[in-house]
Amino acid sequence: MIRGLARIFDNLLGRGDAAVTVPPLDGALRPNRHLDEATFRTRLEGVDCLVLQGNALLASAGDSIFALSLNGEWSKCKSYPSVIACVVAVDADTIAIALDTGDILIDGGRLDGRQYRANPSATCVTAIAVSGTHLYVANGSATNTLTNWQRDLLERNASGTIWRIDLESGAAMKLADGLAWPAGLAIDGADLVFSEAWKHQLVRIDVSRPQSRQVLYSDLPAYPGRIASAAANGYWLALFAPRSQLVEFVLREPSYLKRMMAEVPQPFWVAPNLRSGRRFYEPLQGGGVKHLGMLKPWAPTMSAGFCVRLDRVFQPRSSLQSRADGRTHGVTSVIEHQGQIFAASRGDGVIVSLPATDPAVSSGGGA
Amino acid sequence: MAASDSILRWRYRYVPDHLLGEILTKRWVDNAIPLLILLLVASVFGWLIPDFFSSGSISSLMRQWGEFSLIVLALMIVMVAGGIDLSVGSTFALGNIVALTLLSVFGWPIWAVIFTALACGAGIGLISGLLVGYLRLRAFLTTLVTLIIVRAIVDMLLLKYSVAIAAAFVDSDLWYWFGEGYVLGVPFSVAVAIVLAVVAHLVLSRSRVGWHVLAVGGSRRSAHNVGIPVRRVICLTYVISGTLAALAGVLFASRLGGAGADTGVGLEIAALTAAVLGGNSLGGGRGSAAKAIIGSIIVMIMVNGLVRIGVTRGGSSLLLGLVLLIAVAIDVRWLKNRMKFLSKVYVSPTYAALPAAPSTERNSPYALNDRLRSVDAIGLDKIDGPEDVILDWDDHIYVGNRTGDIIRFFAPDYTRQEVYAHVGGRPLGMAFAKDGSLLVCIGGMGLYRITRQRQIEKLTDETNRSWFSIIDDSRLKLADDLDIAPDGRIFFSEATIRYEMHEWPVDCLESRGNGRIICFDPNTRKTQTVLKKLVFPNGICMTHDGQSFLFAETWACRISRYWFDGPKKGTVEPVIADLPGYPDNINRASDGTYWLALVGMRTPAFDLALKMPSFRRRMVRRIAPDEWMYPNINTGCVLRFEETGRIIETLWDLGGENHPMITSMREHKGNLYIGGILNNRVGRLRLEGSDASWTGQQSYWGQEPQKRQA
Repeated sequence: MIRGLARIFDNLLGRGDAAVTVPPLDGALRPNRHLDEATFRTRLEGVDCLVLQGNALLASAGDSIFALSLNGEWSKCKSYPSVIACVVAVDADTIAIALDTGDILIDGGRLDGRQYRANPSATCVTAIAVSGTHLYVANGSATNTLTNWQRDLLERNASGTIWRIDLESGAAMKLADGLAWPAGLAIDGADLVFSEAWKHQLVRIDVSRPQSRQVLYSDLPAYPGRIASAAANGYWLALFAPRSQLVEFVLREPSYLKRMMAEVPQPFWVAPNLRSGRRFYEPLQGGGVKHLGMLKPWAPTMSAGFCVRLDRVFQPRSSLQSRADGRTHGVTSVIEHQGQIFAASRGDGVIVSLPATDPAVSSGGGA
Repeated sequence: MAASDSILRWRYRYVPDHLLGEILTKRWVDNAIPLLILLLVASVFGWLIPDFFSSGSISSLMRQWGEFSLIVLALMIVMVAGGIDLSVGSTFALGNIVALTLLSVFGWPIWAVIFTALACGAGIGLISGLLVGYLRLRAFLTTLVTLIIVRAIVDMLLLKYSVAIAAAFVDSDLWYWFGEGYVLGVPFSVAVAIVLAVVAHLVLSRSRVGWHVLAVGGSRRSAHNVGIPVRRVICLTYVISGTLAALAGVLFASRLGGAGADTGVGLEIAALTAAVLGGNSLGGGRGSAAKAIIGSIIVMIMVNGLVRIGVTRGGSSLLLGLVLLIAVAIDVRWLKNRMKFLSKVYVSPTYAALPAAPSTERNSPYALNDRLRSVDAIGLDKIDGPEDVILDWDDHIYVGNRTGDIIRFFAPDYTRQEVYAHVGGRPLGMAFAKDGSLLVCIGGMGLYRITRQRQIEKLTDETNRSWFSIIDDSRLKLADDLDIAPDGRIFFSEATIRYEMHEWPVDCLESRGNGRIICFDPNTRKTQTVLKKLVFPNGICMTHDGQSFLFAETWACRISRYWFDGPKKGTVEPVIADLPGYPDNINRASDGTYWLALVGMRTPAFDLALKMPSFRRRMVRRIAPDEWMYPNINTGCVLRFEETGRIIETLWDLGGENHPMITSMREHKGNLYIGGILNNRVGRLRLEGSDASWTGQQSYWGQEPQKRQA
């Protein structure tokens, strides 16, 4: 009873558990500018997902797949009937492409031309992962589409699901339900690890016993997206938008949220974004006021670039960031290939690449 | 939605929640809380006991109070210097027994008796003072020991003389008048207490000795460093304390004429409770006679009320002890948290519904364009925050900067700059007077003039105080822009009376009518507030008819016109009621129209927040100031409009590359000079097709003044 009273009191005053806090960027997540300082930058408007097919690096942008050629240019490979939601490599010559209609197509290899679907209502595929015989699909939300992810966050929705599809038979089984926008999948042995974006945590789920879930890392300072494996025993996590105190506060103000979603156009909401600050109708925060013509790197911002290197047990080791005044925001996909780390920044429409042997990038704190 | 919005509007117009924050900034709020407790206690006991305040019971209560308040005063004086005197009760008893003994047993004359009793008290105080002040012993233990020793002395005297005192009869009307007589209708002891309280208040607040005492209590080390004789001051406070306690004992002796073993026992606890309840700080440095008096009245009412109700002696001591505990706890928490509480409570947002924002699409007068892209930068990275720009007869540029200088850039290439005058504060709006002197509004200081010989003169820094404002609005906190009428009167705006220069955007979160326009007449040197309750009045510009001026209200996004002369004198008329951004400075253009700077653009999310004041209030309290939603002052533009309010053209810098923030623009000889309060440059834009010989001074004053100095 004391706890109940304390909780009511805390809610009233906005402190304790009801306090609006965001974890500080410290330790492995200390701020840096590595994404902006990367020497290799190529433009690819709308780039979303990076995938490795054999030795070739492919990127999805809009409804097409692009390939990286030897001279560093991106050239269109193939187009699909609908916008591509995400891509994953099945084996050396096969890729699986999820479209925003919810269909998953297999391209190349033994299963070429096969089409799968998790569920007739699953039209918000955020991530897919393949392990031998099975295909795992994360469906972000039951009510919102991919482009409405901000609405899903502001509604505090938790209707995401994870499915397992048998590659041979095409049968789909639901593994988990009631998730707050699962946005990334990774296979770790017999377990599946997914990132739950609105709860800013990484969760492990045992595929054979899906009820048992284990939170690996909670309280990330940004919303986690796709997970990819790194070269040497580890993973790369792309975080597509930062958390901020103002958004956390607004999430606790239902009357303002309702009116804002009804009266204010979506690009100008008080909500995290893949790229912010381009139009003056977007909300401004106190620390974001430009002084002497400069935006401070530590200014509160609704978009940022953020990739985190995780170790084998999914704890952060180092990070690559683009701060408030950077130009590599909204990183939706990170991949490691031939000693280089490629990051796709959807907010700015660029792909940057850094050498993986950069001391700041290998295990140890950020510079 | 419309109904709830109008309810909201009425609630925020008529419930003044900004008063709480303003009251907390006042220094007398420390006295207000004990006063409230006093009223509460008096009303509770007045209701519980039917004839508590009848004249019969009051009269005896008042004499008791007179003696008690002398003791509380004594204790307060010692506490305010950082010490504590637990021996006041015993000294009180000593004064009592000494007076009675000398009078009854030895038959001394009254004046000698009083003098000796007071001297005894002073002597006890001196001993404590020497031990605590000079030998630096701990006040608590030392005065505890003094308490015990003096109590022992009193007991010894009682043993020896109590029978003789009881048997004797003092035959002196004067003696009985001390304890039972009246002065001007007031009991004698009450008169003595009041007079001494007034003296103590005046000494503590207005005399050097009193300031020394407060300084020693506030910070002993700093007082010593400044040269105050700390040990002497502390010793003095104990001497005064002993004397006052003995005086109370003399009055008690006169009133009751007897001495018992329990005279004054436990009095120090009651006195301590009274002192702390009244608001005197236990740590020293904060206290006054008023607080002591209020505290003593509260304790007096409580103790006697409890007795009248029938609570046993132990019970009333228990209650008193509890009250002391609570009072000490509140005292400590209040001291620590007052400023924090104030900072959370001060911002009082109100309901502010702006008219729908005009669009900036292609077919609107505010259509976006790139016309400011080709602006030259003057003083790039060499000037910090030029809020307003003005040029003189020789085409030199004058700007104010963030560090309190007026900087002059030399014509014609503007690469060389110098500090024209160092005025301090934050120079904002500027104008040239008829004689060529530069008038400048300085944020944080007021209205100043710099003559052509570079002498800085203050024109005014105060105006008439409004009767019902809690904030002292006779001071000028944020004088913003000015303009000069043809007869020389200067009209200037004060943007807000509730916020200082460095926190001006916080006024937007309130969007209250906190600002005003003031007129200074240099002929009579009188300052008068002309318009009140404006929402951040900013730019002021005289119209060409010489009878009115245009002014901008920044957070209300509108331009209005005020007639100060002529048939429409005193009226305010809207000129542009719905701007898409926040207007700042207004200045004349060469073809009879006016230039307007928009310092920021309205954002839909923030406009919605302006209609939800409780949302803004919670935002201010719960998240850091860096994270608050602000008006978007990162993007600005320049407008040209005519007197009817029609927008003629708009100049934008999309992307904020050249001028992320624009607060002012000035047309001069075919160029437009642009300044911004947080920018690092002055911009110059060539105006195609405009009069290449037009200057602002010519437009206002005609010809150049004859006398010229370099």
